Amino acid sequence: MTMHPALARLRVTARIVALTFRASLDYRGEFLVNVLFGAVYQTSVIVFASVVLGRFPGMGGWPAHAVLMIVALRMLSHALFWLFFGRIATLAEFVQEGNLDALLLRPLPVYRQVQLATFPSNAFGDLIVGVSLFVAAVLSFDVPWTPARILYTAAALAGGTLLEAAVYTTLSCLHFRFPAAVQWSYWTAELMSTFGNYPLKVLPRAVGWAFTFVLPLAFIAYLPTGVLTGNTAGLGVPAAVAAASPAVGVVAYLVSRLLWNRALRGYTGING
Amino acid sequence: MSTSVASGVRTVRNALPRLAGVAVITALGDVHSPGRIAARAVRLTVSVLLVHWLWSALYRGTAQSAGLTRTQALAFAILSVLITQINETDRWIARDTVYQHVGSGTIIYWFLRPMAARRYCLVRAVGDRCYGLARAAVVYVVCLAVGLLTAPASSSAAAAFAVTALLGQVVVYQLGLLVDQMCFWMVKNGAVVAILEFVQALLSGALAPLWFFPQWFQLFSSLMPFQATLNVPLSFYTGRMPVQELPEQIALQLAWIAVLTTLTRLLWRNASDKIQSQGG
Repeated sequence: MTMHPALARLRVTARIVALTFRASLDYRGEFLVNVLFGAVYQTSVIVFASVVLGRFPGMGGWPAHAVLMIVALRMLSHALFWLFFGRIATLAEFVQEGNLDALLLRPLPVYRQVQLATFPSNAFGDLIVGVSLFVAAVLSFDVPWTPARILYTAAALAGGTLLEAAVYTTLSCLHFRFPAAVQWSYWTAELMSTFGNYPLKVLPRAVGWAFTFVLPLAFIAYLPTGVLTGNTAGLGVPAAVAAASPAVGVVAYLVSRLLWNRALRGYTGING
Repeated sequence: MSTSVASGVRTVRNALPRLAGVAVITALGDVHSPGRIAARAVRLTVSVLLVHWLWSALYRGTAQSAGLTRTQALAFAILSVLITQINETDRWIARDTVYQHVGSGTIIYWFLRPMAARRYCLVRAVGDRCYGLARAAVVYVVCLAVGLLTAPASSSAAAAFAVTALLGQVVVYQLGLLVDQMCFWMVKNGAVVAILEFVQALLSGALAPLWFFPQWFQLFSSLMPFQATLNVPLSFYTGRMPVQELPEQIALQLAWIAVLTTLTRLLWRNASDKIQSQGG
């Protein structure tokens, strides 16, 4: 009896994940520090956000529970992004070391192989802090949790995860030709962790516009939280567009994958 | 005596071209990639503008917070971007980080060259920081000219800033070196480097001036070496810290430099015993 191809691929994926997990445990110190790193990274974002919120109340007229939800949504979707898609941000390492050429020869999609190459142990730390903050945000949320709101929150998390994956997948297209472009990915990560945690209406209109249509971090947490809390005035986009944030994440990810496949076809390894 | 001094001067003079050649490696790499210089300039400009807009927006409803005026907070935030980028040299793309060398086994060559590994690291770091300082100086002058930044609170504050910023760079170098040296024992240090970067950003005031944090946090950070790298020089620059505190701050920085230098020297000595290359 032959196994269904999709099931077979899933089984191979699970086996590779198990192998990379065991491999990462070989460097036990690095593994534990990695988990700690995820937690420290997320905690530093919380500390910064809480310091700013404590010192400068009245974030664009948004109540504290709404701002906390922005931070929680962004951090949890970032943790999920890192768990499922994070390796794409460092595609440059594969290109520079010539390892991408080997991936081209194997019977699994290259994108998936990049994701499976190492086990994302620091995602554990990200998730611990992200989930904790999300629970705190949900408990302090001053709006009734109707089934529709629960569903929308889940969709917003999935959309935010995919949108972040779309941003890094698009940037990684540059890595095929210019490994030094990885600096743009690092810089983008810095921008997202700094500016993804506020109601963007506190910033000048042009900056809010840039964070909506150029680097679309508004769709990850700010706009969905606006919809969840009913703060849809002054978002910089019509309420219907804000409500469609999860769909924007899905579409952006699909487009980024098309771009990535195209960039991969144009890739030339060191042997020509 | 005079003969030995003359011989010493001659030795240094002969070594200078070689040291300079090592120091300019990173800058030369960038000169040969104008796209990288342009990209860095774009990122730095956007970062400075974004920080300016963010802190301007936060201060919209208040004139002062935690003893910092809007002007002081802006100077603090923009200068922290400029000083932080001094260390952001792209050694990874040149495949010349300790992590990469230990991973591939080529670290052995650092210990076989005529220049000691310890000195090579130091000279590269000095060159990289001079290059970073030149970038920061250009942006600083532009920011002053267009009014994004204000000049130091006084000439004595400027001098205090210059001295403590310089010593702060030595602390940053020693901390980075300490983490690099962990590769000799752990092989991989990516996570430790990342943690150091975040802890440093948090406890040095790069994320937000430490004056905004609770008292217990300020006390904790004062016991760590990180605040000496950014918070102290910028507090002098903005006038938030009186210049009378300069001797105490310099003494603290020197104490940290002494501790870290002793530790890194000790680790260099032990590192050579740990090196294995291509199977040992």
